Amino acid sequence: MRALLKHFAILLILAAVPAPAQDNLPLGKLPPGRVLLVAQPHHDDHTTDYGMGGLIARFVENGFESYYVRGSNDEKDGPHGYGRNDIVNLKETWDAIRILGMKKVISLNWRNDFMNPIPLDELREQLIFVIRKYRPEVVLGHNPWEHYQKNPDHRNVARALVEACWLAGYATVHPEHFDLGLKPHSVPHYYGKGRLDWGLGQISNIAMELNESQERKKELAIAAHRNVYGSGGAARALSAQLEKEGKYIPEFEKAASELEASDMITHWWMNWTSRETGRKAGVKYAEDYYYTGSLYHLPGLREFVAKNAEPLR
Amino acid sequence: MKRRQFMHLAFAQPSRGVLVLAADAEWLLYAGGAVAGMISSGAEAHLIRIGNDERQSWDLQPEETALRNRRESEAAARILGIQSVVSLGFRSSELREVPHTTMRDRLMMHIRRLRPGVLFIPNPHAEHDRNLDRYYAGAAAEDAWHCARFANFLPAASDHGLVPYIVPEVYYYAPPVDPRRREPESTATFVPQPLQVDIGGAFARKLEAALALETINRDRAMRVKQTLAASGQRLRVLDSVDGAAARRIAEENVRGLARICAEGTPFSQAEEFRYAGIDFGIPREYR
Repeated sequence: MRALLKHFAILLILAAVPAPAQDNLPLGKLPPGRVLLVAQPHHDDHTTDYGMGGLIARFVENGFESYYVRGSNDEKDGPHGYGRNDIVNLKETWDAIRILGMKKVISLNWRNDFMNPIPLDELREQLIFVIRKYRPEVVLGHNPWEHYQKNPDHRNVARALVEACWLAGYATVHPEHFDLGLKPHSVPHYYGKGRLDWGLGQISNIAMELNESQERKKELAIAAHRNVYGSGGAARALSAQLEKEGKYIPEFEKAASELEASDMITHWWMNWTSRETGRKAGVKYAEDYYYTGSLYHLPGLREFVAKNAEPLR
Repeated sequence: MKRRQFMHLAFAQPSRGVLVLAADAEWLLYAGGAVAGMISSGAEAHLIRIGNDERQSWDLQPEETALRNRRESEAAARILGIQSVVSLGFRSSELREVPHTTMRDRLMMHIRRLRPGVLFIPNPHAEHDRNLDRYYAGAAAEDAWHCARFANFLPAASDHGLVPYIVPEVYYYAPPVDPRRREPESTATFVPQPLQVDIGGAFARKLEAALALETINRDRAMRVKQTLAASGQRLRVLDSVDGAAARRIAEENVRGLARICAEGTPFSQAEEFRYAGIDFGIPREYR
C-alpha cells in the first residue's frame, strides 16, 4: 500500500541489481475447488504488484466463485481524511474486484493501521465465520512469516487468517456458529504472498503462471484504486528526476495528462514484476507464493499418503 | 567456524533434570525421543503443559476434549518416564490473548523450582507452523529461561527460596516444516544452532507415548480422511476410523517424522532442534 508511486523511482536501480537468487521456482497447478476467499487488511492488497490480482483472475477464469474480505476501513489511505477515504476506498475495492471477476467485498472495518492492539482472536472469529459461510477450498492472504514486513496490519491479518483456515474445521472452536446454520470447514489450500525485494523477503516455494488476459486484469485492477494511485505524481516525479539528467521518456508524450502517464508507469511496473517472477519459473508471466497444501502440517504422513492413497470409490 | 550438528544421546546426558515446556500435547512428536533418551540416561524429567488442549478432538465438546487430552498427555508422559506433569490450564488456540508476562512468570517459577540442567521449549523462531500457540508459548518460554537468572524478577518467589537460576542447555523444538530450519545462524554465541539428535534407542518409547494420545490420534485420522476425500482420494486403512486405524496413522506419522529428521545424518531415526549449549553462552575464546 502507498508504495507503488515509489516503485518506479527504484525500478531503474533494481534493473541493475540482480534479484535475490530464487530461480527455478516450480510451477503450481490450480487445486480443485469452486470457491476462493481472499482476505487482506486493505482495499488494494489483493491487487498490488507482488500478487495477487493475476492469480485471482486465473481462479475466476477457471470457474471459482471469489470473495474479498477487507480487514480494515482504509481511513488513512488517500488525501481526503478519515471518513471520505473510507468511503472512496471501499468503492474502489468493489471496482477492482469487478475487474478481476470477484463476486463480493466483505468489509470487516477494523481501524486502518491500528491492527496491532486489536484482539486478534476477535478478528480470527470473524474470519472463521466467513470461512464457514462461504466454504472456500482456496484462501489467499499474506505470508505471516514474511521477513521485514513493516506493516503490522499485513502481519496480524495473516496470522489470524492462517489460524482461521484450520481452526474453522474444528467443532470445538466457536460452536455458537453452528446455531446459525454454519458447519465446520477447514481450508486445504493457502497461498501466502510476500515481497522478494525486502531483505530476504519471502522465500517462495511456488510460481503460478498467468496468461495475457490475467496479467492485463491485474494491471487494470490496481489502477482502479484512483484514490491512492490516481494522482499523476509518479509521472511528475519521474519526469523531474530524468530532466535533471537531460533525459525524458518518449512514451509520456503520447499521454494526454500526467494521470495517464502515471497509469503507464503502473502498467509497466506491474508487467515487469510479473515478467521477473515468470522468468524464475521459465514462463512469460507469473506470481510467486508460499503455498501450503492440505498435508503441509503433517510432514510425517506425506510419504505414507503418497504411497498409499488411491482414488475415492 | 565448523559447527557440531549431530549428537548421539550418549553425549547429551544432562548433569541434572530435564524440564519440558509445552504449548500442546503434540510436543512429544518433535522432542519426545530426545527426552526419553535423556531419562534412560538417568535424568529426571518434568513437563509443564501450558495449553489445555481443549480443541483437538473430532466429535467432543471442548470440556470433554480438555479432560481427555489431559489424561492422555499424563499417560504419555508416564510412558516416556516423565516424573511430574503440571497443567497451567490456559485455553488452547488462545495463548495469544494470555499476557506474555503472565505466561512467562508462571514458567519462570517452575524453572526456579525445578532447576533443570536441560530445558525443552517450543521454537518461537520457527516458521510456517500454523499452530501459533507454539509461537506465543515459545516466546514466553524463551523469555522465562532468560529472566529466571535475574534477581529482580519474581522477588516474592526469591524470598521464598526460588532464587535466580540459569538453565545451561536449551533445546528449541518445532515440527519440521520450515524449509530453512537447518540453516546455521550467523554465530554460535548467543544464537541457537541446528542440531539433529539420534533417537534410535528411544524410538519405541516415543512411539508408545504417541499412541497414548488417543483423542488426538483419532482427530488426526478423521481429518486426514476428510482432507483426502475432498480431493477425491482415500486411504484404505481409514475406510473405517476405529482405534486400530487411528493408531496406524499415528504410527506412520511418528515414523515419518523420525525419517525426515534423520535425513542427511548417520542416524536412522532422529529429532531436530535448535540447540543452545555452552557455545551459546560463552564464546570459545573465553573458555
